[in-house]
Amino acid sequence: MLSGKAAIAGIGATEFSKDSGRSELQLAAEAVRSALADAGLHPSDVDGLVTFSMDSNAEVAVAREIGAGELTFFSRIGYGGGAACATVQQAAMAVATGVASVVVCYRALNERSGHRFGQVSLAAASAPTTSGIDNSWHYPMGLGTPAGTVAMAARRYMHKYGATSEDFGRVAVIDRRHAATNPHAWFYERPITLAEHQASRWITEPLRLLDCCQESDGAVAIVVTSAERARDLPRPPAVITAATQGSGPDQFTMTSYYRDDLSGLPEIGVVARQLWAQSRLSAADVDVAILYDHFTPYVLMQLEELGFCGRGEAPAFVAEERVPLNTHGGQLGEAYIHGMNGIAEGVRQIRGTAVNQVADAHHVLVTAGTGVPTSALILAR
Amino acid sequence: MIAETAAQLKQAGYCTPRSGRDPVNLPMINNWLEAMGDNNRRYAAEGVAPPAMAQVWTMRGLHPVATPDDPLFAMTAVLDEAGFTAVVATNCEQTYHRELRLGEEVAVRSRLSEVVGPKKTALGEGYFVTTESTWFVGDEPVSSMLFRVLKYKPAASTPSPVAGDPIRPAVNRDTAYFWDGITAGELRIQQCSSCGSLRHPPGPMCPSCGATKPSFVVASGDGVVYSYVVHHHPPVPGRRLPYVVALVELPEGVRVVGELIGAEPRVGMRVAFDVAAGLPIWRPKSDLPPLSIEITPTFVVSSALATRDFQDVHHDRDLAIAKGSKDIFVNILTTTGLVQRFVTDWKPQARVTSIAIKLGVPCYAYDMLTFSGRVTSPTTIEVVGRNSLGAHVTGSVEVADA
Repeated sequence: MLSGKAAIAGIGATEFSKDSGRSELQLAAEAVRSALADAGLHPSDVDGLVTFSMDSNAEVAVAREIGAGELTFFSRIGYGGGAACATVQQAAMAVATGVASVVVCYRALNERSGHRFGQVSLAAASAPTTSGIDNSWHYPMGLGTPAGTVAMAARRYMHKYGATSEDFGRVAVIDRRHAATNPHAWFYERPITLAEHQASRWITEPLRLLDCCQESDGAVAIVVTSAERARDLPRPPAVITAATQGSGPDQFTMTSYYRDDLSGLPEIGVVARQLWAQSRLSAADVDVAILYDHFTPYVLMQLEELGFCGRGEAPAFVAEERVPLNTHGGQLGEAYIHGMNGIAEGVRQIRGTAVNQVADAHHVLVTAGTGVPTSALILAR
Repeated sequence: MIAETAAQLKQAGYCTPRSGRDPVNLPMINNWLEAMGDNNRRYAAEGVAPPAMAQVWTMRGLHPVATPDDPLFAMTAVLDEAGFTAVVATNCEQTYHRELRLGEEVAVRSRLSEVVGPKKTALGEGYFVTTESTWFVGDEPVSSMLFRVLKYKPAASTPSPVAGDPIRPAVNRDTAYFWDGITAGELRIQQCSSCGSLRHPPGPMCPSCGATKPSFVVASGDGVVYSYVVHHHPPVPGRRLPYVVALVELPEGVRVVGELIGAEPRVGMRVAFDVAAGLPIWRPKSDLPPLSIEITPTFVVSSALATRDFQDVHHDRDLAIAKGSKDIFVNILTTTGLVQRFVTDWKPQARVTSIAIKLGVPCYAYDMLTFSGRVTSPTTIEVVGRNSLGAHVTGSVEVADA
């Protein structure tokens, strides 16, 4: 139904830094304008805006800044980085149903110079909401950071499958190798070795510093329009072949510890089944995988849930590099823009303009935040 | 200078033997057993000394005379001069080749085993100095000890919890029963009063049958570690780093998160529920009957003297405070004796063949020291002794016949 109806016609971003020196609204407006210019469209063409519920910039504020006129569609997605690909899904649905014609998805954050997600949030456990109550089973007990919550699942994965810290480290080494040749990446020309990963300090065991993505300032915007219209625009369209959201049974945000098994990501499984059904593809057809990498262990679990390999086989799969992974450097290497920079990389691979271009990339898989209700896309030529 | 002295001392090997003041004798054994509160009758019946007394026989007494070639004395002098003036014992590993019999004369020889440093520690920068001592009866080695101290430059500030109040839970009408249970010292699991399903974390509507009349059962408090993390970074308000958080599976079929205190964590470890600071926590489940010792000043003084340890910090409160302590505190030989007693109270016929302990927080007068233990092999017992400040001693005891 949705497959093939919409396409990404433009991508834009600010520079990725540790201190942008400007407001998040300015970052958002710059990225949106840059994406529209890339698409060969004008702010007045925009009639829809989508972002994360965590974004601090209201759709109308961004619309004012870029000089857009009337909006017929605006929407926000929850659950942190799990929202990334879902913003594009919302946009694609709006375009496919005729609710809007040009929808821009954006995410802007001063995550390093402003509010840092990796610090312990006192307020998170005291909110008079279901999230506050959920967090109250974990934060007061000392489990109050994203790394801490992921470490719990990572330890169980190690216990069940015999995975090691080196297995996690190989994901970081691949990301940083790709970032090293990407001039837009924060870690441009700074690859790491597995030994350096092993020597990096503990954050929350079993996670080391180099298992954790960086903290970044920056913004990314993605322009979605109908596939038909996109073909008339300057850039080769990245057709949205599949766009999915998913949450699993007994789902929590980062702390789904009460399911039978803690060594997988059922919400990615939900997304995966829809991806393959919508696109009529399988993991074997994927030419490039941009997998959300806020923490390395979840990259391994995603590969298994998505069907690239069997349960517990991801360490070997990654060691052999059986699929090109996070060719922009991922969030460990390029920047942490809550997964939106991964979508931009997917578009570049389809266009053939990526710095680490995979030859004849026809199908690119992009996933969003893991350990939370999530989303994913398949982009195609 | 430090490295050169260490090399010279290592090269020199064992120092000259130093004899005990008295042969192995019943009055000292009885004083020691009385001070430890140890009622084990095997020693009297077999005419042997408690193994943990090994070092007592050669203690230097009230008026110690320095022996110039004692490696720890020599190393201490050099480190003092270099500004590493403070000292804390970190490890004591004693191996008992056989039990000593009444009347035997014991002598000890020591050598420097290694000096490692400078290392950054929580207390300050310092050197770990390890010595090895062997006790002989004639030419026969009867017991040996590896003893490690940290000689350090006291850091400007001692480690303390991160500033700020600990994170408190949000409580609402759906979850109040749980927190009321914590206040009452019990672990409550939500139970649907319609279909009986258990659930944690809880909610207002039973996902199995849709009823909205939740009740609760009180859990046994036993559990098994399903997974765990060790948090090192970033700082967490009101907490000392690092700390362990465990996801624990209960026999009732639900999982509960809580800090794990008092043991090296591992998946599958059996733990028991407890409450600390208004939060559920987990402690290693003791396979041995717990032993709690009220640390009165009398206990500290009498046990220090019964081990022939006359250092002022163990009997003179004024001097202890003048040296920066809160009060007089338990000496290491007593801690070793209590670790032995904890095991032999449980298995009175067991012959202890080694005690390897790691020393943690001090055990001051007016505190309570509580031991718990786990049997990890037919001959191995892992022991933890905790007081209000944390883990005072963690270690492992080997027995010949448990």
